[in-house]
Amino acid sequence: MRSNKVGWLLLTPTLLLLGVFGILPFIYVLFLSFHQWNPFGASPDRIFIWGNNFRRLVFDGEFLLSIWVTLKFAFFAVFSEIVIGYLLAQLFMREFPGRAVFRTIHTLPLIVAPIVVGSVWRLMTTPSIGIIPYYANQLFGIDINIGRDAGTAFMFTVIMDIWHWTPLVTLTLLAALLSLPKEPFEQAQIDGASRAQIFWHITLPMIRPAILATVFIRLMDALRTVDEVWMLTGGGPGAATRYIGLHIWKVVFPKTDYGYGSAISVIVLYLTLVMCWMLYVGLVAPRNKGN
Amino acid sequence: MRHHLKAGGATLLIGLLAGSMPALADFWSDAGAKFQGVTLHGVTESTPPSNYVKDVLAPEFTEKTGIKVEIETTSWDQMYDKAIKDMEAGTGIYDMVYIEQDIIYAYLARNFLVDITKALADDPSLKAPDFSEEAFTSFADYFKNADGDLMGLPMEAFIKIYLYRTDLFNDPEIQAAFKEKTGKDLKPATTHEEYTEIAEFFTEWGQGKDIWGTTAQAHTGHPASWYEFFESIAPTFGVYNWGIDADNNYAASVANGGRMNSDEAKAALKYWLHLRDIAPPESAASTWTETATTFAAGRAAQGLIYGENAAWIASDPEKSRVVGNVGVALPPTEPGVLEQVEAGEGYIGYYDGGAFGLPITSKNQEAALLFLQYIGQDSVQGPWAVAGSRITNTATYDDPAVQELDKKLGGYFTMLRDQGKLFAGAPPFPFHAQVREATAPIFYEILTGAIEPDAGLDQMAAKAEEELTNLGYRK
Amino acid sequence: MRPSNPWLNVALWVILSFTTLFPIYWLFVISVKPAVDLFTTPSVILDTVYWRNYVEVFHDPTLRRYMTNSLIVSTGNAVLCSVLAFMACYALSRYDIGGKENIFFWTITNRMAPAAVFLLPFFLLFTKVFVIGDFKLYDTRIGLILLYSTFNLPFAIWTLRPTIDGIPRELDEAATVDGASTWQTIREVIWPLAKPGLAVTFILIWVFAWNEFLLAATLTSFNARTITTGLSEYVTTTGTEWGKMAAISIFTLIPALIIFSMVQRHIVAGLTFGAVKE
Repeated sequence: MRSNKVGWLLLTPTLLLLGVFGILPFIYVLFLSFHQWNPFGASPDRIFIWGNNFRRLVFDGEFLLSIWVTLKFAFFAVFSEIVIGYLLAQLFMREFPGRAVFRTIHTLPLIVAPIVVGSVWRLMTTPSIGIIPYYANQLFGIDINIGRDAGTAFMFTVIMDIWHWTPLVTLTLLAALLSLPKEPFEQAQIDGASRAQIFWHITLPMIRPAILATVFIRLMDALRTVDEVWMLTGGGPGAATRYIGLHIWKVVFPKTDYGYGSAISVIVLYLTLVMCWMLYVGLVAPRNKGN
Repeated sequence: MRHHLKAGGATLLIGLLAGSMPALADFWSDAGAKFQGVTLHGVTESTPPSNYVKDVLAPEFTEKTGIKVEIETTSWDQMYDKAIKDMEAGTGIYDMVYIEQDIIYAYLARNFLVDITKALADDPSLKAPDFSEEAFTSFADYFKNADGDLMGLPMEAFIKIYLYRTDLFNDPEIQAAFKEKTGKDLKPATTHEEYTEIAEFFTEWGQGKDIWGTTAQAHTGHPASWYEFFESIAPTFGVYNWGIDADNNYAASVANGGRMNSDEAKAALKYWLHLRDIAPPESAASTWTETATTFAAGRAAQGLIYGENAAWIASDPEKSRVVGNVGVALPPTEPGVLEQVEAGEGYIGYYDGGAFGLPITSKNQEAALLFLQYIGQDSVQGPWAVAGSRITNTATYDDPAVQELDKKLGGYFTMLRDQGKLFAGAPPFPFHAQVREATAPIFYEILTGAIEPDAGLDQMAAKAEEELTNLGYRK
Repeated sequence: MRPSNPWLNVALWVILSFTTLFPIYWLFVISVKPAVDLFTTPSVILDTVYWRNYVEVFHDPTLRRYMTNSLIVSTGNAVLCSVLAFMACYALSRYDIGGKENIFFWTITNRMAPAAVFLLPFFLLFTKVFVIGDFKLYDTRIGLILLYSTFNLPFAIWTLRPTIDGIPRELDEAATVDGASTWQTIREVIWPLAKPGLAVTFILIWVFAWNEFLLAATLTSFNARTITTGLSEYVTTTGTEWGKMAAISIFTLIPALIIFSMVQRHIVAGLTFGAVKE
């Protein structure tokens, strides 16, 4: 290993930037989470209330329900995206005419702003006059009402997320596949390994860090989703799609409950962190230590 | 293009005024001279009246006074959040903020706003000769503090009214069919019973024709549905101010003296849920926007629609299929309620709108006062009323262009003038959004059918009291 | 990979592209219809085209300003994050820095925060803390670039790390033996080999910054407003102007597509590991 000074030097700008814009706001939010503060309460002052916000959280049915539906949403969305995204990335590894064009087409959903994605899907799914419910009814006699049926609304938020974010997975996994050395694959083919064997014993272990990184990113982004769902369902019907990002948004924006909102954010941050840490320790870290 | 024409009209009007009263024209340039180099910043919701301020009135003002004005238009939530952050943190970014009628009490409680009446009295050199608080309609009363001083300059005002399709209601065949079915003449409903009957009739008659009997603003995850019930339906059953009694320790439940879960409220909810069930299927995903579009697309025979949308539904062929076929009427009420309201107790619907306020944290208060007076003058109101279908000054009703539009709107402006007193703004609560958001999740569950209406209202009343206790209003 | 008929792949991609493109096609349909037509029986085929939305959008100078801001902020953010992340990943991959795996994990925690609450401290930082004379970070493009880095730099570090780790150390060592300095090694060996990963990282960060809404909406006011915040002006209580919103969105696809095709070329530049064999 070479001089660590150079290493630290290379890291400094990153640490500095994240330190200032990452840690300072977090300290402030942590500070708020121990206070009762609603500018439009009978008393608009900040009052220190120890851990009362956190105690309230444990018994808050709305919050717990929101965590549950968010986890469900994140699981279905991220899992599908990783599987579909990986398959598409593999398809892009093949040589065929017009590959660049198809790759560009496939990245298009990423460029559409979430608020617009939500709007388009909302118009496509408006009961009885949106294109999807209309043809579902005309062709198959199925009645799709996103405003009445919780399951349908949930399903559409997942489908919308898959449509919007699978290209991200495809791209990151494609980059990982492209940077794999060729020899192990050639060797395996010479040895007569089946495609499944190659996948499980060579490809998967080699791109595991990239898959994990992608899962992390998608997972934490899915847990923070606000704009698309806000436009599509507004969190309804009932609380069926009131995902935690949207829930916090409703606590902080219209209700202006900054203290309680901060407490929820701190807990959500903590839960996300623990979840990712467990994944990380279990799957990535041991491998890196081995190096 | 349309804006340019209007701007031309307004300039012409000002030009005429300036010609007859040169002293007035001088006031603006003299007053503006003191504030050269000042740029005023405002934040407002991007609605037609606000866009008119941004595109027409602000440039006009700049031309006359030399004071620059930058108006930021954005979505409602953003506007509200940014204004509050600015005023709460005291950063002084904004010199003008939009105040929706339902948030004024919260701002007043926090002393966020400059007292316009007092500020003008304190410095007479700032008082524009053509500006008078007397010129405003009674809607301005919602923006006055306890002393009767003006805290916000009214700029947007409309009522939520009963719209019906005149082409359907006047069709002899339909009339005959209705008579045969119900034994009554087909005319706009005055009671809930009649309204339901008409709605049921049209939903049945309209099968296969894509016509339903009523609109319903019944989104299952958006507060629009909550508002339709508490501000438009419950009052017509005699339940006012969301059923919360401010004079009785903010009680909401019947047990404590409130009326949120009273028998009347429960009857109102069941009435409305029934209408929702016979409204077009998209109603379960409809906010105020979509009910208006549903009506404009010709998919509903009648409905309760916000006045700001009534104007384009009745007059803009690019957005509406029912131009020229729109009638307006008072919302139907329960027997006895209208009499009660006319006697001065309660209201039958929502009188909504907003004003421009001057935050106490503004660093350019004098210049901002000039701008507020500028947009409050009678002389700029006519084209603004036509562009934004809003009327805040009494004299505007007599403007020829406004009267012309009124004819197209089936007499909407006349109703606003003559019957506006039957409508009321949001209750004077400083905790508007807080209690709404606390109870709305239960309301959405009622809409999805997860909770029975009666039990739901009981839960909502309890939740409202809990939230009010939490906020410190209910002792 | 197993050789297969290339035209089968093409056929498969055509089908897949339909799925991908349909919502975008629908966005276009929305943009060329008057509002009232959106609330009637839908039809997949466009019979009449209504260009009014585009005309209005095209003649709006504020939207051009928003677009410029968006381009500057997204590109600036993508360049800053890619470069910083490249440096950081090289350090994490090649140097024996104490606790580096913890540092690596810590960086990503910055992306986990739910944005709504953090708006308040950001607002205070931007209006009260980072103030030099008349200059505030509030409502500036540089403010947005720095702010987005909080979320995008961790992302960049995490997507680039596998790429840099995957570049065999023998190459560094060979370069060092040949007498190359650290800087030369980075520039001439690592950077070219990391290009596919860098290109993907750049594109995705660019997209994140281009699409970000909540932070930009709160922390800009007039000068630095981006196109996504401009879109929210069409969601109002009097009605969502679907048509204009869709027209602007279609419009914004153009610069994004240009940037994409410029950067995407580098994705295929990979597969150069033949170097190790020789």
